[in-house]
Amino acid sequence: MAAKPTKSSGQKDNFTRNLVIGMVALVVGVGVIFSVTGNQTKVSSKIPTIASEAEGYGLVFNPSAMPVIDIWEDFQCPVCRSFESVVGSYLSQLVKENKAKVIYHPLSFIGPESVRAANAAACAAEESKFDEFHTLLYKTQSTTENSGLWSNDNLVGLGATVGLTSDSFKKCVNDGGFLGWVNNIAADGAKKNVNSTPTVFVNGKEIDRNTQYMDLNGFTAALVAAGLK
Amino acid sequence: MSDFSIKGLLPWLTLISRLILGGVLLAAGLLKVTHPAKSAMAVRAYEVLPVTFANFLGYALPWIEVGIALLLILGVAVKSAALSGGFLMFLFIVAIAQAWARGLTIDCGCFGGGGQVAKGETKYLEEILRDTGLVLLALYLMKFPRGKFSLDR
Repeated sequence: MAAKPTKSSGQKDNFTRNLVIGMVALVVGVGVIFSVTGNQTKVSSKIPTIASEAEGYGLVFNPSAMPVIDIWEDFQCPVCRSFESVVGSYLSQLVKENKAKVIYHPLSFIGPESVRAANAAACAAEESKFDEFHTLLYKTQSTTENSGLWSNDNLVGLGATVGLTSDSFKKCVNDGGFLGWVNNIAADGAKKNVNSTPTVFVNGKEIDRNTQYMDLNGFTAALVAAGLK
Repeated sequence: MSDFSIKGLLPWLTLISRLILGGVLLAAGLLKVTHPAKSAMAVRAYEVLPVTFANFLGYALPWIEVGIALLLILGVAVKSAALSGGFLMFLFIVAIAQAWARGLTIDCGCFGGGGQVAKGETKYLEEILRDTGLVLLALYLMKFPRGKFSLDR
């Protein structure tokens, strides 16, 4: 008599145990599929006019100029801010004078505010004010990550200070018009093994992190070696 | 009286080991599942695996950690879960050690984060010691999988 209840309670526990194993396996399986598929490029995502799928969805300035400078950055990354302060105005000048093909790839490793800022930067690019907005983002970068500084409302407000006052810009920022594109940029960076920000390629080759990132002379030298006139 | 013997203590030690190994894995997994791009980057930064496989692992690993953690905490399939968790920790030790030996300067990315850090900011020794401790807990659990508050029979 005593053995029977023990046995049935044993079966019951086995059922619970197997159920738990099944549930855990399901959570892991669905999670893995979700993470893997969510981080692939989607051709159907809306991309900014100057972005090019062939250039890893980057925002392309002066498509026919040489040399080619690819810049991978995260608007929340402090080193990117330092990089911008060293070479930012020089790069703007190169773009203006059509002296180099410059391709910006805004990454979003650091979190939701990087995503929102990248989306807003694409919105600014649609209004031909990427450069102004890019400079402004680094000028206003918060010292803490995802501090709430770059809410969509605040990004719209920031845009207004550089003349981005159109309804289309506001709508684009608020609706996250280019969020799919931001994801595509991130997925392409993963494929290209970009592991830190900023990462700079000149004619497809990374420049020297020790001497050519944070020194304008070093940076210029890398460009001259790559055919800058 | 027998409750105070070593034998009476073992199930409690098993419970504690499960909660520590499971808790660490759960924290590590949950901190990363919400940042898959960063997790993939952390794996790539070890410069061991081909990029495509490193990315896949970066997306998948946090979920696998969560899964093993749930089994350990609930006390289900403890032996297999401990084997998997311990094996993961062993792989982490190998990965961190090779990064150290090759002079890479990366964060292990164990609890989110990861990727390049400045030369003086690597914590390889601490990371390896922590993971070694966790391997020992896993080995203990494989030897004594039956503990308190476990769904395993």
